[in-house]
Amino acid sequence: MIAALAWRNIWRQPIRTALSMVGMGFAAMLLVFMLSFEFGSYDTIKTGMLRISDGFGQIQPKGYKDDPAIDKVIEEPTALMADLAGVGAVTASSARDMAFVLLARGNLSFAAAVTGIDPVQENRITVVSSYVKQGRALRAGDRDAIILGDGLARNLGVKLGDRITLLGSARDGSVAADVLRLVGIFKSNIPEMDRQVAQIPLARFNETFQMNGAVNTVALSGRTLRDITAASGRLRRIAARHGLVYLDWAQLQPAIKQGIALDLSTAMTMYATLIFVVVFIILNTLYMSVLERTREFGVLLAIGMKPRQIGRMVWMEIIFLSLVGTGIGVVLGMILTGWFQVHGISFQGLQEVYAQFGLPSRIYPHMTPFRVLFGPLVMLAAVVLLAVIPYRRVLGLKPVSAMGAGG
Amino acid sequence: MSNIVSCRNVSKVFGHADLAVQALQGINLDIHAGDFATLAGPSGSGKTTLLNMIGALDTPSSGEVVIDGQPLARLTAAQLSEIRLHKVGFVFQAYNLIPVLSARENIEFVLELQGVPGAERKERALNALADVALEGLADRRPAQMSGGQQQRVAVARALVSRPAIVLADEPTANLDSKTSEELIALMYRLNQERGTTFVIGTHDPGVMAHSKRHIQLLDGRIDGDGQG
Repeated sequence: MIAALAWRNIWRQPIRTALSMVGMGFAAMLLVFMLSFEFGSYDTIKTGMLRISDGFGQIQPKGYKDDPAIDKVIEEPTALMADLAGVGAVTASSARDMAFVLLARGNLSFAAAVTGIDPVQENRITVVSSYVKQGRALRAGDRDAIILGDGLARNLGVKLGDRITLLGSARDGSVAADVLRLVGIFKSNIPEMDRQVAQIPLARFNETFQMNGAVNTVALSGRTLRDITAASGRLRRIAARHGLVYLDWAQLQPAIKQGIALDLSTAMTMYATLIFVVVFIILNTLYMSVLERTREFGVLLAIGMKPRQIGRMVWMEIIFLSLVGTGIGVVLGMILTGWFQVHGISFQGLQEVYAQFGLPSRIYPHMTPFRVLFGPLVMLAAVVLLAVIPYRRVLGLKPVSAMGAGG
Repeated sequence: MSNIVSCRNVSKVFGHADLAVQALQGINLDIHAGDFATLAGPSGSGKTTLLNMIGALDTPSSGEVVIDGQPLARLTAAQLSEIRLHKVGFVFQAYNLIPVLSARENIEFVLELQGVPGAERKERALNALADVALEGLADRRPAQMSGGQQQRVAVARALVSRPAIVLADEPTANLDSKTSEELIALMYRLNQERGTTFVIGTHDPGVMAHSKRHIQLLDGRIDGDGQG
């Protein structure tokens, strides 16, 4: 009956209770949406950036990340990729070579990073082929084809069909030289990439640079970045078995990780402020309600209710009110977030900026149990814990003085 | 005749130093089982303070109060709650029912605090309502009842726990004369039929007319104690 009493007590002032619930509900709804949007946008940023060139993870020779020398190689990429195919989360893996070279056309030459790729596998990992604005992307069966970033093509003064001379160092230290035909020009809107990157078929790279079947890295992808992240442990073990290292997204793009951490700390400060304000508004309301009922609590003490029982009843009122308010907020937050999760949020005028980071023009919030429940549960816990303030007030009541109080 | 309440040299001082008020001075009083006593006196004579002492709502500055054989000195707040719950029933001037509970639930609430099982609680609450002739209003909340009806529910609530003593502080002060007469007749009947001990603080001559024992207070002292 104490629980029933507590429930009825919170409806004595229905407008005040409704307003308190609306306050908590709105805050909970906002937290569900904002956290889902925040983390959803991080997912989009990470995925977008990784799909430009890195892939969701890479297996490399030790030390290759800091010093990408051509002679640091994976000798048996086929065996490694066979092992990767056994990892359910991995939907594609692609061997790559990379070398810093001079590309020349006539009297003009420019430094470039040329990558040897398997076009079929690479298309399942990165989106470079979608950036091709002139000509076409590399495709299976290409022999002497090369594609360039549009800045590099402009600097070299080349057009589709032109021959480009490549000059670099092969794996064995000898001179690597080749003549390739320009089949496509891509524009990623990332200036460094457009000015410096070229791609040629992996087989051609292998011949030109004397790789003898070895590759520099194996990039991989999954249905989602989350799937690959979850499989990190297994991927590390596979890499170690081959004497290699596995780099996850954060190791491939540490700047993104730091940027997200910085943004998250700012956002969390804002959420904490929101929770702080809402919790103290609610507590103020509840404390007022306790003060107003001091006389009634005195009567309850007089008829034999113990101070702790009254305190528990007040605590129960706070829990009921908070649960209902937060519960409604979570449901509304899920409905709101669910709608935007399907339709996305478009930021008009920012498409160009987003494109520079490989991002789509629409950002999609993404709900997970953690994102939905974390904020509201923190708020709920704060209210329930801070309810110790009115609880202690009730514990200190004496029947005679309480009955002599107003209210 | 056994004593339900014994007060020995009970004094109560409110405030300190120059602002101290001596509300009770050396009260010696025994309330016997089956008493139907009125506690009368002018305003400020100490009626309510003495009822608070007898009811374990407050503790004396000096002296001793014993309820049903249990000395109250040195009991904790929780232990005093237990004494009030099991040995004392209260009827207040302003009824003081819980507004969000029905008449039956107000009565049942005391039994729940005592740990009485649900089915027995309900039966005893309905019987208590029948005793005060309100069985038809079991599901009404206080705001849906008249003052007299609310005070009868308060009497039923005070009696349902089968206390050693029922204390009533100005129970008729908010009631018209007819309703007051009915309420006092009800309490008197319960005293006669069941032997329930009542101590009633009052100014009301109609109440005093029913009392079997009349205790007169003046300036915190007992100024008279005799048969009504």
